[in-house]
Amino acid sequence: MKNRNIVSILIGAVIVVIVLMLLFAFQVRYAQVAVVTTFGKPVHPAITQPGLYFKWPWPIQRVYKFDGRIQNLEDKFSENILHDNNNLILTVYAGWKISDAAAFYPKFAGSVPNAEVALEGMLRNAKSAVVSSNTLSAFVNPDPSQLRFEQMEQQIQDAVQAQLSTNNYGIQLVFLGFKKIELPQSVTQSVFDRMKGERQVIINSEKYEGQKEATIITSTANRIASETVNQAKATATQIMGEGQAKAAEVLPIFEKDPALANYLLRLDALQQALNQKTTLIFDERTPPFDLFTSIPTNAPSVAPAQ
Amino acid sequence: MERNVPKNALFNLALAIAVFIAALAVTSLVNSLAGEGAAIFLGIAFLVTLTSWFQMKLEENERLERLEVEELARTRGESALFESKDSEVFAARRSREQFDKFYIPGFAVLLFVIEALGAWFLWRSIDKSTTPIVDMRATASAALFGIFMLILFLVGRFSVTIARLQDNRLLRPSSSFVLAGAYVCLFTALAIAGVKAGFPRADVWVARAFSVVLGLIAAETLLTLLLEIYRPRVRGKISRPLYESRFVGILAQPESLLTTAAQTLDYQFGFKVSETWFFKLLKENLFMLLLVQFAVLLLSTCVVFVDAGEQGILEHFGKPIDVLDAGAHFKWPWPIDHVYRYRTEQIQSLYVGYQPDTNEEHVVLWTVPHNQEQNFLVATHVSTAVENETPEEGNVMEQALKAPPVSLITVSIPIQFEITNVMDWAYVNSDTTNLFASLATRQVVRYLAGEDIDELLSSGRFDAARLLQDRIQEDANAHQLGVKIVFVGLQDIHPPTPVAADYEKVIGAQQSKLAAILSAQADAIETNALSLAEAFTTTNLAAASRFQLEKSWYARAALFTNQIPAFEAAPSVYKQRAYYTMFADATKNNRKYILLVTNTQDVMVFDLQDKIRADLLNVNPE
Repeated sequence: MKNRNIVSILIGAVIVVIVLMLLFAFQVRYAQVAVVTTFGKPVHPAITQPGLYFKWPWPIQRVYKFDGRIQNLEDKFSENILHDNNNLILTVYAGWKISDAAAFYPKFAGSVPNAEVALEGMLRNAKSAVVSSNTLSAFVNPDPSQLRFEQMEQQIQDAVQAQLSTNNYGIQLVFLGFKKIELPQSVTQSVFDRMKGERQVIINSEKYEGQKEATIITSTANRIASETVNQAKATATQIMGEGQAKAAEVLPIFEKDPALANYLLRLDALQQALNQKTTLIFDERTPPFDLFTSIPTNAPSVAPAQ
Repeated sequence: MERNVPKNALFNLALAIAVFIAALAVTSLVNSLAGEGAAIFLGIAFLVTLTSWFQMKLEENERLERLEVEELARTRGESALFESKDSEVFAARRSREQFDKFYIPGFAVLLFVIEALGAWFLWRSIDKSTTPIVDMRATASAALFGIFMLILFLVGRFSVTIARLQDNRLLRPSSSFVLAGAYVCLFTALAIAGVKAGFPRADVWVARAFSVVLGLIAAETLLTLLLEIYRPRVRGKISRPLYESRFVGILAQPESLLTTAAQTLDYQFGFKVSETWFFKLLKENLFMLLLVQFAVLLLSTCVVFVDAGEQGILEHFGKPIDVLDAGAHFKWPWPIDHVYRYRTEQIQSLYVGYQPDTNEEHVVLWTVPHNQEQNFLVATHVSTAVENETPEEGNVMEQALKAPPVSLITVSIPIQFEITNVMDWAYVNSDTTNLFASLATRQVVRYLAGEDIDELLSSGRFDAARLLQDRIQEDANAHQLGVKIVFVGLQDIHPPTPVAADYEKVIGAQQSKLAAILSAQADAIETNALSLAEAFTTTNLAAASRFQLEKSWYARAALFTNQIPAFEAAPSVYKQRAYYTMFADATKNNRKYILLVTNTQDVMVFDLQDKIRADLLNVNPE
């Protein structure tokens, strides 16, 4: 029974210690900053080192802890007019941190969302000012050296940081960058139309270029073919001439009896003519059909008139 | 004392409805979510007290009726009156039985529906709430809820004591709800005061807790309804009211937890579980057990197990003192030491320019929207194709000049990375993943803004992934993200969907061009080959003719030389023979008409036209 009581006392004591610790002590984590207020008045300086700290319990003292790390902020995706009257919709992201928690706490009632609202307002203001003094070619350019991203980002950051420092907001803007750039919807449609137009130019170029090249190839082939055939015909004529010349060498032989030669030539010509599928009509006087007139028949011959 | 019970129930009822209406009014003025929860709870309390009071009245009527009947029986002895049926004599009892049989289960079902709907409505209101608490009315509202709490607490506490002393089962539910209503009003007042004191989420937290409590009460009501079906019924044993919530009873009187548990077990099992040795042991040592459990819980925080692929940062009073690798580690108990774990070896992904579709498509086409892709601005040379056009094509030129010299492109870039420095990852930036996504997106925007779209769509993409990986890694290092990029892919880069079809047509046109050229080349090959063949044939034919000419004339000359002596020997016969030989030979296949003219006056007409076939099928093979 006694042991049980000791255990109970020990555990109870631990619980009491924990409760007291929760009331009188607080921890500040690494990368946290804390502001302690006594009856609502901040106690300077803010705590930036991690560790265990003591305080009077509420409502005498209160502890406000803030994230000391770099926090992200992204402003609204807003439309801006450029120096060359083009419009762009842009958003920037920014990294900011609480540089002086003691200054930060009273300015924004310890509320990070309140600080972000204020910071976003400054960001949009600076962004509009910087963007409107640049042209579209500073944002989009086929020559990367003409892009001015870094310069514009630095200008916006400097402008915002100047305001933060002047008013001692306890905030430091660590970095900033353009996250997204887009064209307004109506301009986007125009860009699409232009892109389609460019494609149509290329399509027609390809189409008629192909037809042109095909025609050239066909025409060249026809010319070469014609040249080849005509050359062959010329060669053939020449060969035939040579043949006739050669054949003419034997003509003097026919001069030995020109009448017979002519007669035989005529026979050759006639034979060639008759070789065709022709219909021939002869009368009885054509040799050898004249034989029909002199052949005796069984028919009674007409007695000659006495 | 017994007679005070119905009055007490009636007072509970009057108070419940009054506080319910008042809480509703205050809540609508101050826009408190916790107030909404309190109003819902008080509304349920009103219904329970109403039913409790009504049931109590019925039982009281039944009791009076029974006394009256007993009195009559004593004074008049046996009478025809008692020979009549029960339903005619005991009207009040009959009413009470009907009430128990039909109304109570029906009311319990209705109560469950209201509780469940109340929990759901409150939870949804918290998610959708955009109106903050009206600051100027916060103090007054908190004070009013404080007053509600005080009144409900006094009445509820008194009522609970009366119910316990008289063991009145019907007063118990209403008194529990009234007393629990007091605590609900207390927490509502604290929530509103918390908002006023600079804790804007206090109202939400309390409302969320109320929603959970309502859900638990609804679950309990449903469970009670189900158990009622299977509960063993002992004749003469009086049952608990179905609408009584043990959970609310515990909330109202936490000290009665064990008693309630014992009653519940006794009630459900039908014997005195609370008198068993185990239950008694548990009851006597409960505090000790709770303390030991707390101690064990505290001791369990001295050991931490870091899983494979994880790293943990060990903080001692908030100061990071070590990075723990996978395995078991000992540390000081909470709240001295604390370990924060990170999946350092896990390959993590982020996506630039798209969000992966959950409905995975098997075919991804440029012309079909997919993966919720975004458009990026990309540079374009004021189209060289357009520049080369003649002024007559003003339409295209006009269009080109109207739109800014930029194009749009869609890129899907998955980035895979792993955490290499957990300290940087955890402590330099508050939302490192989001910042990393912003940096990567910025680099992609920056890169595309300086690239020509046509080059990017062709050869440039191979260099782009490597270049982007280098640049994003540099940026990540500069911002101390503590990550190593293991992969950057340009898995899907194409013109936006509205113009994708036109880009595909270009490819079609290029193919058509190639097809036309190849067709012409094929024709040219045919033409050239045929011409060469024809030329060859022509020259060969000429050569053959020459050969024939030469040979035939030489042969004829030789023949002629031999014919001359034959001719000279018989000139006339030779010629005739030659003629008839030729004639017979030449005309042997020809059709011949021989006219033996006897009358020279006759005129013969020959139709020598070729005969035309009547039908091709009617071929006459002659």
